[in-house]
Amino acid sequence: MGAFIDFFRGPWHIAVYTYREGIRKKTLIGFLILSLLVIFGASFISSYLDPTSETDIDLKLIKDICVATISIFGVLITIFISASVVPGEIENKVIYTILSKPVRRIQYLLGKFLGAQLIIIVNLVLMGFLFCAALYMRQQVFPSLLLWSLLLTYFEFLIISAFTFAVSCASTSAVVPTIIGLFIYITGNLTEFLKDVQNRAGQSGKWFDDMIGWVANALYQMLPNLQNFSLKTQIINGQPNDPPTDVLIPNLMAYGTLYAIFGFLLAWVIFWRKEV
Amino acid sequence: MKRHQKLVLAGAMLLILALAATQGRHVRHLRESESFYRWMLAAAVNERLFQDESGQFKDKELFEQCNAASQKLAGLVPTVAAVAKEQPKAASEPPAAEPGEVSEIGKASQEYKNDPRIWALARSNELADARASFLKLARSRQLRFAQDIQYAEAQESGVGLFNLFFGFRKVAANFIWIQVDRYWHQGENYRMVALMKTCTALDPHFVEAYLIGSWHLSYNVTAKMMDTPWPQRKWDPKYSACVGEKEKYYYVAINFLKDGIRNNPRNYKLYFDLGFAVYKQKLKDYQNAVKYLSEAIRQPHDRWVPRQLFICQELNGQYAEALAGWEDYARRFPQTSTGQEVAPRFIKRNQGHLLEKRAEEAFKAAAAATDPAEAERLRKEALKFREQAKDIFMVLGSTEGDALRMRIEATELAEQKRYMEAVAVLDKARWESAELWDDLSHRIMRYKADGNLPISLSEQKEMEREKDAGLCAGMPEQERQRVQQKNAQLN
Repeated sequence: MGAFIDFFRGPWHIAVYTYREGIRKKTLIGFLILSLLVIFGASFISSYLDPTSETDIDLKLIKDICVATISIFGVLITIFISASVVPGEIENKVIYTILSKPVRRIQYLLGKFLGAQLIIIVNLVLMGFLFCAALYMRQQVFPSLLLWSLLLTYFEFLIISAFTFAVSCASTSAVVPTIIGLFIYITGNLTEFLKDVQNRAGQSGKWFDDMIGWVANALYQMLPNLQNFSLKTQIINGQPNDPPTDVLIPNLMAYGTLYAIFGFLLAWVIFWRKEV
Repeated sequence: MKRHQKLVLAGAMLLILALAATQGRHVRHLRESESFYRWMLAAAVNERLFQDESGQFKDKELFEQCNAASQKLAGLVPTVAAVAKEQPKAASEPPAAEPGEVSEIGKASQEYKNDPRIWALARSNELADARASFLKLARSRQLRFAQDIQYAEAQESGVGLFNLFFGFRKVAANFIWIQVDRYWHQGENYRMVALMKTCTALDPHFVEAYLIGSWHLSYNVTAKMMDTPWPQRKWDPKYSACVGEKEKYYYVAINFLKDGIRNNPRNYKLYFDLGFAVYKQKLKDYQNAVKYLSEAIRQPHDRWVPRQLFICQELNGQYAEALAGWEDYARRFPQTSTGQEVAPRFIKRNQGHLLEKRAEEAFKAAAAATDPAEAERLRKEALKFREQAKDIFMVLGSTEGDALRMRIEATELAEQKRYMEAVAVLDKARWESAELWDDLSHRIMRYKADGNLPISLSEQKEMEREKDAGLCAGMPEQERQRVQQKNAQLN
């Protein structure tokens, strides 16, 4: 037990340090302020609607816009942070000081990854809090379904974060991993197309055509599908105790965690071979 | 790092990837099962309430396949609660399926508490074939109740709206709805319907769009339109009803709400608006109003929903059900003002109606009885019921109780062939209660006709109109005969 605690003590310090450093980044603060403004502004979107009609439509508008805002700005924050925590330290050469200490590479990497997650979680909580407040002011009921939606949003970010982090370990600057992170987000949402490619392949009967279908199917089975997390928008306006939703939430959490572990292991393999 | 460590790491990575891919398969299975489950609920609601079928779609065949497979499962025994009371058949719609005709899944779907069982069924191995057929049919757009973008574009075609929006279709639906609202304020009603349908296609769970859309159609669009006279209406096979320019909007609203119910079968608001706002308020079709309001109270609902059901039951002549409902309501909510003030009034009113109905039945039985002693006994019983009803209406008091009591007095006078007095009593009574105006006016016309009393011009016109009520060009012969029989009974 003592060895276990000792192993995580180093990463925890690095995580806290990464968090303190990351939370001060101007770009990050900019994204956060923008997202908070949009969430706040969503409360006024109902002015476009008939003020005399007493409906819940404005509530739905706020919910949908806020979930979309949290997703868009949240993913930007996730990508930006995950892409910059390691290359940033390579650029300013802090990494050499840290690795010269009795810290193993896996501990360093774990600390950096945990630090990035802390930043993402804090941002998500801040945005979620304002969203909750906006909803509470409207309907005077605590929006409990929102918490599940935010939880699923986080697990979606976790996958993006892990793979972007893996890419960032191979890079010396944050620009390329940021671009690749966006690419991961977009392609992660388009994984369903691979199924379509597989369905259309093999029509000519040529071996190359068959092979494309086979490769598409293999990738479809292996790559994460971020569309599965679209449940987060479904929950928010749904009914409580919806049986499929209740089953899907823990499964999606496990799904996100497994891909995140794979992404982190990938980062480790890449970082391990890196000459620093 | 040593070689064996590399191997361990590679092995761990492969293992995690395999586990993630397996979990991915499981999640995919769950999401497909979820689509299947939602389609199954929609098909079950359609079977139980609408029986809306179309030859080109395969929903019915697939639903039968699901039912056949589900019969092997002992776990899916529906718990149909006592709320499943006998519902009268609707006039303008196909008759509701008899309990025996409703499938196992249909029966189970009646109660929202059975949802976990239907969900278990939807993802079970026993229904694997049906699920595969569902996905195949949904991709090729052969299922009417799985037509939204969520199924079709995500799974069948190439670049689609579903993927391009990255799951933000609901936001797009909201902005389209703002446009619908704008068109409404600009008076461009003709543009609204198409956009409303686009909106609900993007977000089939946008309940407010269904509710407000149907409200616009059945209330606001038709607000300045006159009721189409019956001879000018035409039979529309699509709606199985005689419709004019104005009435068409009501049926468009009904279909819009029905789509909403299929997509959101557990939302009571949709059933309520269909039953109350359209069938009761606009079409005065109390049979269908009772049918959908009964369905609304099967879902988790607000306290005011059953009150409207009881009112519609009373209007539909189901006094015993209305009475039982109000008594139960007063028992459950004794501290509320409705429980203390409103419910007792409705209880009295329904008790009076029930006694009045019993008196009528006893009079009919007395007239039909061959034994004079039995006829006399029944007549006395009928008179007793009538007196009891009058007493109750007296206790009920207010203008409403007075009008109901005077209605009985007028009936008694008419039975004694004192038509002039009966008409005078009814004429006084109808000014007491606006709610009873139509009923009492019809009675006045009937007594005037029976007593050969002079009939005013407006009454003559009304009687002429009543002859054509419910009849229009292009009606199926069977339906025409049914309406003519009904009109003859009323007159």
